[in-house]
Amino acid sequence: MSDTEHGSDPAHGHDHEHDHEGPGYATPQAAIEESDPEGLAYVMGLYVGTDVDAPDFLAVVDLDPDSATYAEVVDRVEMPNRGDELHHFGWNACSSSCHVGGLERRHLVVPGQRSSRLHVIDAADRREPELETVIEPEEVFDEDLSAPHTVHCIPDGQILVSMLGDADGSLPGGFLELDETDFSVDGRWEAPGEIEMNYDFWYQPRQNVMVSTEWAAPETYYPGFDLDDVEAGRYGRQLHVWNWEEKTVEQTIDLGEEGMIPLEVRFLHSPVSTHGFVGAALSSNVFHFHEAESTPGDGPGRYEAEKVIDIEAREHEDWDMPVPGLVTDLLVSMDDRYLFFSNWLHGDVRMYDISDPANPRLADRIWAGGIYGPDHPIDGEREVVAGPQMLQLSLDGERLYWTTSLFSSWDEQFYPEEGEQGSVMLKADVDPRRGSMTLDQDFLVDFGEMPAGPARAHEIRWPDGDCTSDVWQ
Amino acid sequence: MAGDPTATDAPYRVTLEHADGGGTAVVRARADESVLEAAERADVALPFGCLTGACATCTAELLAGSVEHRREPRGLKPRHRDAGYVLTCIAVPTSDCRLRVGSDVAGELTTNPWR
Repeated sequence: MSDTEHGSDPAHGHDHEHDHEGPGYATPQAAIEESDPEGLAYVMGLYVGTDVDAPDFLAVVDLDPDSATYAEVVDRVEMPNRGDELHHFGWNACSSSCHVGGLERRHLVVPGQRSSRLHVIDAADRREPELETVIEPEEVFDEDLSAPHTVHCIPDGQILVSMLGDADGSLPGGFLELDETDFSVDGRWEAPGEIEMNYDFWYQPRQNVMVSTEWAAPETYYPGFDLDDVEAGRYGRQLHVWNWEEKTVEQTIDLGEEGMIPLEVRFLHSPVSTHGFVGAALSSNVFHFHEAESTPGDGPGRYEAEKVIDIEAREHEDWDMPVPGLVTDLLVSMDDRYLFFSNWLHGDVRMYDISDPANPRLADRIWAGGIYGPDHPIDGEREVVAGPQMLQLSLDGERLYWTTSLFSSWDEQFYPEEGEQGSVMLKADVDPRRGSMTLDQDFLVDFGEMPAGPARAHEIRWPDGDCTSDVWQ
Repeated sequence: MAGDPTATDAPYRVTLEHADGGGTAVVRARADESVLEAAERADVALPFGCLTGACATCTAELLAGSVEHRREPRGLKPRHRDAGYVLTCIAVPTSDCRLRVGSDVAGELTTNPWR
């Protein structure tokens, strides 16, 4: 079922406080039951920071196993400029607007992390999307913001983008709000001064809460990772708990030395949940957070965060220091039963049972590439030089996909062959009843074989909602 | 080439040596034109990102001559500036100059700190 097809299909009215007339699904369980298997994927493809004279692109990957072009890039939407560093992206609308009739999940908002340019792609034709409009960097700099990262649609036709820097690429960052009706810049979402560092965010509207995380100032992380910057306190280690309606930070949680560089943040999908997870990339730990105590009024209560998974650094004969796992991405399955995350340096992707979210239990893992995983995880296929990185899970929880690039300049430090050979996209078949995963030996998308030259590949999205897009009111 | 600026309105000769052995290009820079802008005008592709001096994707090594950064080259640490690295997006030649360019140069700014 495509969001662009069902529109106001009355068959999709569900037991929900609103009628479900708009995009997405009435509940997370409805997403599992009603969605078709993902027939294609949108993946960010990059040339920034290489000598390939071509712009970054949105790749359309065929995921239909019955198709002659299965596991191939079947279309590429090139950006109008070079140098963007396409990274994360998002839809104009998701299940948070499922009560808004007439709204469609149709446009992809695709920011350039380095250029601060935002592209809007019309995906009405799911296989052949087209660039519709561009917000130029100057309009972004006018709001004293730069370095767009996470895109979430927010209810009632607005789009929110986390911005990691000010117009100079220094601190503070903030949030940029776009108008979904014409993709114009609405302005800065919050009053300046609420935060310094920014990175990812997730909102849980029924709890009137948003949690945002911290990377660093763009001028710090853009050129590459430097331990001197860590020692100088230029990298983040805090979570910010926001009053969603008021757009104010109510609580800042310092994760301490064990919570350095908290990147991706995911609430459970159930709109009644106050539980979530964040991966502290540098410390290579996963933290569980939740509302520990409700407080009077409409705002979020007092939140607590505690480390629940600790990836031990490992010795390597070629390294002077033990190798950290580097937990760079994580996601929660749509049924809120499993947490998946990647150890980009070690080279494994893990699956944890989170039915007791404060006590995750390792269910399974797959080694593929990275420092310790097999260079050729699929016999007879090309070498995989970097570890699992950006993850995406099918809505039914049965297929996990990942790409291998982190960020162009950081790739160059840790996996210099990634730029020369291009990324891969891999897939595991997941059994969500048995808690197990198996690498699919018949699936490898080779971004080394693009017309202009080897490309990096980053975030993945499905056409009709996925485990890191959709939020429920 | 038709339409090429003359030595009069583009006073500086800028020699771009590709770090990966990809050859040498010579372009002419107009007054107040950055190295990157001069290269783009001559259809010589160099890497770049933010165009504001924050990201260092366009880092080059100045081998001879002089440039002035239009604004603070924030993507370069003092040790990089002392070592002769410049940012082509905001570096304006103030004499004939020679630079080592290409994506490998930005890669020299940081190394794997644990290896």
